[in-house]
Amino acid sequence: MTGGVAPSTLAPGRIAVRRSSPGSWQPWLWIAPAIAVLLAIFGYSIVALFGESLTFQGDWVGLENFGLIFSDPLFTTGLLHNGLLLLAVPVLAAFATFFAVLLFETKRGLGFYRAVVFMPYVLAVPVVAVVFGQLLQRNGPINEALRSAGLSAIALDWLGDPNVALWTMAGVIMWKEVGFGVVLILARMLTVSTEMYEAAKLDGAGFWRTHWSITLPEIRPILGFYVVTEAITMVSWVFNYVYVLTNGQGGPGNATVVSELYIYRNAFQYQQPELAAAAAVILFLGTMLFVIVFVRMQRRSLRVSS
Amino acid sequence: MTTTRKLAGALLVATALVLTACTGAGSGGSTPVNTAFPTEKVKLTMWWWGEQEAPGAQKYVDEAIAAYEKKHPNVTIDAVLQTTDGLVPSFQTAAASKTGPDIEYFWGGTNALTPAWQKQITPISDYIPKEELSHYLNATEETYDGKVWTAPWYVQPSFPLLIRKDVLAKNGLSVPTTWDQLMSVCDALSSKGITTIAGGVKDGWFGGWLYSILGSQDLSSQSDVLAAVVGTQSFTDAKQAEWWTRLAESKQHGCWNNDINSLELYQAQQRFVDGAAAMTITAGTDAPNFVKKAGGDANVEVTAMPSWADGPYAGKLGSSSQTLGITSWSKYPQVAADFIMFLHTSAQLDAWYAATGAMPADDRFDLSQVTSPAKKKLFDMASHGGPYLENYIPPQLDSDAVFKNVQLVLQGSTTPAQAAADMEATAKRLRSTDRTLVKNYTVWAR
Repeated sequence: MTGGVAPSTLAPGRIAVRRSSPGSWQPWLWIAPAIAVLLAIFGYSIVALFGESLTFQGDWVGLENFGLIFSDPLFTTGLLHNGLLLLAVPVLAAFATFFAVLLFETKRGLGFYRAVVFMPYVLAVPVVAVVFGQLLQRNGPINEALRSAGLSAIALDWLGDPNVALWTMAGVIMWKEVGFGVVLILARMLTVSTEMYEAAKLDGAGFWRTHWSITLPEIRPILGFYVVTEAITMVSWVFNYVYVLTNGQGGPGNATVVSELYIYRNAFQYQQPELAAAAAVILFLGTMLFVIVFVRMQRRSLRVSS
Repeated sequence: MTTTRKLAGALLVATALVLTACTGAGSGGSTPVNTAFPTEKVKLTMWWWGEQEAPGAQKYVDEAIAAYEKKHPNVTIDAVLQTTDGLVPSFQTAAASKTGPDIEYFWGGTNALTPAWQKQITPISDYIPKEELSHYLNATEETYDGKVWTAPWYVQPSFPLLIRKDVLAKNGLSVPTTWDQLMSVCDALSSKGITTIAGGVKDGWFGGWLYSILGSQDLSSQSDVLAAVVGTQSFTDAKQAEWWTRLAESKQHGCWNNDINSLELYQAQQRFVDGAAAMTITAGTDAPNFVKKAGGDANVEVTAMPSWADGPYAGKLGSSSQTLGITSWSKYPQVAADFIMFLHTSAQLDAWYAATGAMPADDRFDLSQVTSPAKKKLFDMASHGGPYLENYIPPQLDSDAVFKNVQLVLQGSTTPAQAAADMEATAKRLRSTDRTLVKNYTVWAR
């Protein structure tokens, strides 16, 4: 009894406030260490990053660094390429869903096939990039196989031709990332009540109808999560692929330059940390957009499920 | 109270005078600072590169350090070999936190001076006597504002063309000595499906080599390049841009392997060793090894790129030295300098040559011990070489314009005129984004 006053004598709202009072700070207390660590690591870094983006050799220059990077065609090209790589995300989601459904329908060897599909995701990016770098040489094994099969017309210079290099890289990223989506979606599908599928079968629903009307609605939240995660990958985690596949050049020409490579080069090769900071701020804000979209999607799905 | 203030003032003035005197000695360039050797325990870290282009260097460095530590028991040196792609970035990361190496390896010219402009290294001429430095070859590349910033270690003859005489003879051809002859060889070999010159530009570096060995042929001196960097000349001027046309011409004549854009340089060079290509271009330091692997002097001719122009550097190799610098945060710069001078002692110069077959950057090296004709020719060309152009342009211009456009020209997706215009546009952009570039290059050009 708080303050010796019987709850029945107070207005319901008043009771709620008084009862929830200790609970309102307790969660904060529990997560305080984590928040402190986050603030120390990320908070400081972000403040320092924003600060550096507004200075030159310690002197305040306002938005001058931003003006310089946006007047640099290499940076805008990098942003464009990040944007183009985003086009691969829906394709990636479609492939992941397709393979997840295939595995779901597989009656035998599900564990084996799931492991095989997931394997590329486990591999380190440098390993993947080095292997594909060899496979995709103009006279490499893939093109040799294509030529042997009479398909010389499509035996392209996958990483050496600026017209196809970005899409080749997108293909390599998709090959590696699709397993993650398959495992996520399949895990969700395996938790869907089997009665629903059986009922659909009894009602005469075929393969497409069943998955269109049952599977897709059920996996929508997890698919949304996957799409946002992969979008963030294409915007701010694609550096590893570019660096290893193109030996840190973003070539041929500027064909595979992305904003992260621009940041890396300015920070560590060209000794222009202020320009790198300005570009990193832009990339950070762009990534935050995806995070906001993701949080909203999560909230919406929570509302729907509740 | 007044007396105390006067005393404090006098102390301040005296301290300032002492500090000024010390600073004056340090920045004089010609007068080394105090080089008293410490007696306490000293630990130095050396980040270096070079095994990649001068095989045997790792063995030499280990032995040289052991010999130095034996001579100075209170000193230990920890040498860390860096990767090609990681050499500059890892140093930049170290410099940001002022930790890491005491001695750092730098490629010549702008690669050594950029850290100097960033105050990341201390002038070597503050610690090594002028007379000693005068023996170090190509130190002019690292001279800025009256000081030598890094110490040449070994010479990089930049970059010889290696020709397999056996492959040419098998196809009824002889060693080309002019550009037109080279194009004829390319026509003849490409018509038979044989690669004339094996190269790889995927990792970019080879583009910088091509710029230097083709682009220098029509220039009167490296000042032309520095002038184009600061904007008093243009990279679209005929003498600065003609080499792009020659590069495109070499592609039209089928001089290169058709997968040049998807191969790294070292991968492509292997084809020369395997006899699948008649020629390649290698690091001068590594050329003797390639000669050996390809059958020795009888099989291989080492020469400069045939001339397409009649400038003073046409038909010559570039000559550059790979260098060692002392970081500005090193606690024992005098020990670091002493170690660098130790590497230039007669015994060490001989040991370097014995281990690597590469030429030490010191005119006191006894050339009589060089017996291989290919090496003799190479060392002679390096001794009488021209400037190595790539060392005179900003690294960003090198990557963003040269590497990139060489890839595109060799792929056939850009024209020589477009490549030259892009290089000029990149230089123009750099003059605004790199706010100290014009000042630094103007002083350097003086």
